[in-house]
Amino acid sequence: MDPNAVIARCFADERRAIDEPDRDTFLIGPDDLILITGATGFIGSRVVKNLLDHGFRNLRCFARPSSDVAKIDALTGGACGGMRVELVKGNLLSRDDCSVATKDAAVVLHLAAARGEKSFPDAFMNSVVTTRNLLEACLEHQCLRRFVTVSSFTVYSNRQKPRGRLLDESCPVEAHPELRGDPYCFAKTRQDDLVAEYGKKFGIPYVIVRPAYVYGPGNEAIPGRVGIRTFGIFLHLGGSNTIPLTYVDNCAEAIALAGLKKGVDGEVFNVVDDDLPSSRRFLRLYKQNVRRFASLYVPRFVSYALCYLWERYSTWSEGQLPPVFNRRQWHAYWKKTHYSNAKLKTRLGWAPDVPRAQAFRRYFEACRERRHA
Amino acid sequence: MLKVGIVGCGRIADAHLSQLQRVKGCQVVGVCDREPLMARQLYERFPVRQYFRDLTELLTVARPDVVHITTPPDSHFAIAKLCLESGCHIYVEKPFTLYEEEARRLIALANDRGLKLTVGHDDQFRHVARRMRTLVQTGYLGGRPAHMESYYCYELDRSSYAGALLGDKGHWVRGLPGKLLQNIISHGIARIAEFLTSESPHVMAYGFTSPFLRSTGERDIVDELRVLICEEGRTTAYFTFSTQMRPSVHQFRIYGPKNGLILDQDQETLIKLRGPRFKSYLEHFIPPLSMAQQHLGNLVTNLGIFLASDFHMKSGLKYLIESFYRSIVEGTSAPIPYREILLTARIMDTIFAQLDAQPREVVPGHPALQAADESRRPSSLQSTP
Repeated sequence: MDPNAVIARCFADERRAIDEPDRDTFLIGPDDLILITGATGFIGSRVVKNLLDHGFRNLRCFARPSSDVAKIDALTGGACGGMRVELVKGNLLSRDDCSVATKDAAVVLHLAAARGEKSFPDAFMNSVVTTRNLLEACLEHQCLRRFVTVSSFTVYSNRQKPRGRLLDESCPVEAHPELRGDPYCFAKTRQDDLVAEYGKKFGIPYVIVRPAYVYGPGNEAIPGRVGIRTFGIFLHLGGSNTIPLTYVDNCAEAIALAGLKKGVDGEVFNVVDDDLPSSRRFLRLYKQNVRRFASLYVPRFVSYALCYLWERYSTWSEGQLPPVFNRRQWHAYWKKTHYSNAKLKTRLGWAPDVPRAQAFRRYFEACRERRHA
Repeated sequence: MLKVGIVGCGRIADAHLSQLQRVKGCQVVGVCDREPLMARQLYERFPVRQYFRDLTELLTVARPDVVHITTPPDSHFAIAKLCLESGCHIYVEKPFTLYEEEARRLIALANDRGLKLTVGHDDQFRHVARRMRTLVQTGYLGGRPAHMESYYCYELDRSSYAGALLGDKGHWVRGLPGKLLQNIISHGIARIAEFLTSESPHVMAYGFTSPFLRSTGERDIVDELRVLICEEGRTTAYFTFSTQMRPSVHQFRIYGPKNGLILDQDQETLIKLRGPRFKSYLEHFIPPLSMAQQHLGNLVTNLGIFLASDFHMKSGLKYLIESFYRSIVEGTSAPIPYREILLTARIMDTIFAQLDAQPREVVPGHPALQAADESRRPSSLQSTP
């Protein structure tokens, strides 16, 4: 690692100190070091802000060498003494970089991920191998008190759920993620397995956080659960389904709490906001607030049949069309499902800071800005 | 039944395993990667008997007949040598080796041991490339090629690989003698090498960092390359590698004394260029009609192959693997002549040597560029050693 890649900044403590009631429930004190991987990313930068807002004064932000550090600069710029925010640039595929990053860290919030990778090996390498390197480095230093891995709703199979249509933390994850045709699902499932394995084998205290679709300024895409654009037309696949969303600031709060709250080691938390819209409502609001476009509603039985046919053709043709659409994918994304955040609220004391109306306003505004940029 | 092993479990290994599932008469007995997690993920997703983290273990425990080497290029030589010494035939992903000398030593070793080898120039075995080869072999050009043009472009902004490379100053590609070029251009160079007859053609290369890359602060990666290759008094060829030109084509044009051919790899089309001209205004009407007819013919051909379920993105890889395995089983020549492997390596060596000697950071009209032009003019047409 380039020694110049580590930039420490000290700031005057203008932010609020940790509230007394919070301090008792938190695992660490305000001066204990917290490592945030993927800190310059869409969610990571909000997690850094959230921790600073909670009064934590010793943060280490890990980012790729090519990352834009403007978000971290914006958060920490302008002030003062008493706070230390280190920016460490490196590659989590390097064990040495992981060792430097995890040194003295009491809590690791691991957000870095291979989002959008289309290849299984690349997604796996940038999620699982990197996570293993971090875990090994934590073992080496022996000072870790909590490892939080940020997973995804995508790991759930959304079949054989114990409580009907309700998807919560007790639901089964994909047993054969390699058959989903989705590298991200495969990588995230294996990443969760690995963290649990290290927890069991080496006693690493961990928490798994599984956010729903995270939206907000910085991610202006329409969720795939609502539909997909293909050949110039938007296929609306969600219909009356509830869309599991979490606004980026609310998600960041959940991740921070997962790293801080006492007594939740080994737990899994789904992160989903209150007052979720239906796919139809989301699409209508999007069209009203951002731009109008033609969309074609595809009923659930039709989307299921199409996924089935695609899957069969892919098998028959020995992969001439890759199996990106299949029944497992349909169950995970387009089946009518209800969601719960009860565990998140009761065990972590989480509540969405940004209500849906305000979150949508900010999101649509960002979409409009992006469109006109 | 041929027993197959794979070393290196990254992205290209996926492509090999996907196609190996379609190849009859073989069984993948083991995959190996020094990162055991990577080996295990491949083992979990494909019908593979065992996975290993150590190559020697793969060779001694699984005892493959053929080993596919899909590791980064700087490891090709050492792994290939060990596999040949262990009595395995080898399929080495492109580029075959870092230097021609290494390629020469591997070929000599394979010949000594009675083993076969090939390189992953699978683009040359796609349907359209095979149709072109048949036409050339049956004399469509009317003699030896007079001139060839090979375009091999690469869109940096569409590639996650490029993102990783540009963002990481320690990326392994930066350690290759030809950096980004070394990992990509052999496909386009091999197309030319296939039709050259001289062992030492003249090579003149000019490369630079594109304005786009320079604007990102990149100075080390050459992503624009123009090469002139010529055999004394015979065939000439241009090779173009570009990350900036659009469309980002993968084309090969070959012209003989009578006719020419244009192969478009992206569109999977092959267009015949008729040598003789039509009289007067007819030249303005009949050739466009003929072009339309040919494009329609290509469309029908492509649809036919698709409906026959043989139009996979890596159809050339399957064909090359099958041809290579057949050559092993039947004791016939390997599908890619060793001479072509060596010539490709030799041309690449020369290109990289010339780029190394080229002054950097020059702009058009700059005295440094003019001086470089002056000094290069007579000497750049030297034969490769």
